[in-house]
Amino acid sequence: MDDQGCPRCKTTKYRNPSLKLMVNVCGHTLCENCVEMLFVRGSGNCVQCDTPLRKSNFRVQLFEDPTIDKEVEIRKRVLKIYNKRDFDFPSLREYNDYLEQVEDIVFNLTNNIDVENTKLRMEQYQRENRDLIQRNKAKLTREQEELEELLLQEQQGTEQRRLVALQEEQRQLQAKRKNKQALLDELEQSQLPATLLLAQHKVRAAQLETQIEQQKQVVKPTSIFSTGIQMRQTVSLQPAPRLEEALYHYKPLRVETYGPPVPDLEQLGRFGYLNHVRAAMPQDTAGGYTSALACHRAVQDAFSGLFPARG
Amino acid sequence: MFHNSSQRRYWTFNREDELEKKRYNANQKFRMKAKESGKPGLSESVFLERHEEDVLFRHYERRLLDFCNAFKPAMPKSVVGTAAMYFRRFYLNNSIMEYHPRIIMLTCAYLSCKVDEFNVSSLQFVGNLLQETPAGQERVLEQILEYELLLIQQLNFHLVVHNPYRPMEGLLIDLKVREPRVSEESADDFLTQAAMTDAGLLFSPSQIALTAILTAMTLFSSSVFSYLTECLGLREDKETLSKMYDLMRRMKTLLKKYELPKPEEVNVYKQRLERIHAELNTSSKKDPFRVNMHRTGYRALLPLRYRSLLHTQTQFTPTQA
Repeated sequence: MDDQGCPRCKTTKYRNPSLKLMVNVCGHTLCENCVEMLFVRGSGNCVQCDTPLRKSNFRVQLFEDPTIDKEVEIRKRVLKIYNKRDFDFPSLREYNDYLEQVEDIVFNLTNNIDVENTKLRMEQYQRENRDLIQRNKAKLTREQEELEELLLQEQQGTEQRRLVALQEEQRQLQAKRKNKQALLDELEQSQLPATLLLAQHKVRAAQLETQIEQQKQVVKPTSIFSTGIQMRQTVSLQPAPRLEEALYHYKPLRVETYGPPVPDLEQLGRFGYLNHVRAAMPQDTAGGYTSALACHRAVQDAFSGLFPARG
Repeated sequence: MFHNSSQRRYWTFNREDELEKKRYNANQKFRMKAKESGKPGLSESVFLERHEEDVLFRHYERRLLDFCNAFKPAMPKSVVGTAAMYFRRFYLNNSIMEYHPRIIMLTCAYLSCKVDEFNVSSLQFVGNLLQETPAGQERVLEQILEYELLLIQQLNFHLVVHNPYRPMEGLLIDLKVREPRVSEESADDFLTQAAMTDAGLLFSPSQIALTAILTAMTLFSSSVFSYLTECLGLREDKETLSKMYDLMRRMKTLLKKYELPKPEEVNVYKQRLERIHAELNTSSKKDPFRVNMHRTGYRALLPLRYRSLLHTQTQFTPTQA
């Protein structure tokens, strides 16, 4: 059964579709009900591995394999300490080594290998690099803030555009309504014949339409491309460096047959070779056979390897 | 095409002594092994000498050709030629005393039927052994299948054999185009004879075919040799031309040297051969040098593409060409 279930009350997703599985730091699952029951006091031991746990550390299991949940949790914690970035290192090699080290730590903690030593190593690192960690953390938060600000700006921009469009639409609607009302009024009060009034109205309506169309077409000139690049910015138009490559030249294949040259398949008939072969039956030709094929093969075989090898 | 075939690369030799040396080595190899096995019945006096082996080889080759020619349904010439070539190639590196030619020759014929797309079932094949009872035929078939893999391995998996029959057709066509006066003469006898000599291991099929035609022609017309100089463009190339004459001469002497084995000699040697094989078989079950490879996963040694060939006949019908 690969159906997921709570190891304690044996309920499965199949039997209870609303089952919510939770994971704690040790990577073992429990269903929500069991968590409520076992951890009424806020803390207790894991059913499966006896690790002391806190209720507040329980998370909803996102992945099928609970160890992945555990790993994600651990990774988050480790990366809080190991938050150096590539420009903190003099060379790529060192940065890669550092990343490798981080992966080692995460792997060890996830799979319970040498946990004590690994933790010690982490603490030591934390002590040694306290300043740098703090600084990077601050930097990260600052960058985060900048990013959020950017997002906010974008959001505001779209909102504004939406509002403008809405206003525009309403204005147009109003204009149309006004026009109609005017017609009704005129019909009511004017002395002119109705047909004339109607014709006048039609012309006005058409004018209004064209006006709206024109307005729609006049798009406000934007100053930013959708990629965020400023318009009219000078982009360097230097051509990409050309790669000098030797072009491929076709060379006809030369096969050493150790014999005199064989006439081409097409030439056999012209030279009269086909007069000396049995003509193909009509039923043979259905499959694409011609007497030239057999003739050509025989002549090829006759000339192949005819001359003794030199030397 | 012959010019890039395994036949040209691995199974065409320059000189007759090379062949003789290989056969001598095979003979010696067997003697060594036999001595190592320490059987009392295997002593120097029993072993066959090289020329004695040769007599027996020719005897069994004749029998192979007779069997093929009497085969029903009639066997195409190329199948017969392939079988004879397999037989020759097999005993180039193996001694007659090690593997009995009686069964190897049948295996060669059986394999060449498959490879050359001559479609007969295995039962039909052994049905041609008229002197055997049905039970005996069954037994022979079992033996054939037993030795088939060994044969393929000893042929080094080079199963395609280029026979001189098609080149001869091509040469005749070419000859008729260039010299309309020439009437067609049958040169088949020459090819049949050539199949019983080492010609196939020394010369290319087209050279054999050319020699066959020119030999048949010279009986009637003296101008055919101009075919070589005029038509095949050898007028300037004196060196190649002389080489061609030379190899044709060699081939003809090779054929002339052939003599049928004398029956009385054959009988004497055959008795000794039977004694050797009887001796080998009596206690061969635990004999390290006659391990029955076919019973011990020998199949696994074969390249994959050949496995499908085993025990099944190819389903192709010969094309009409």
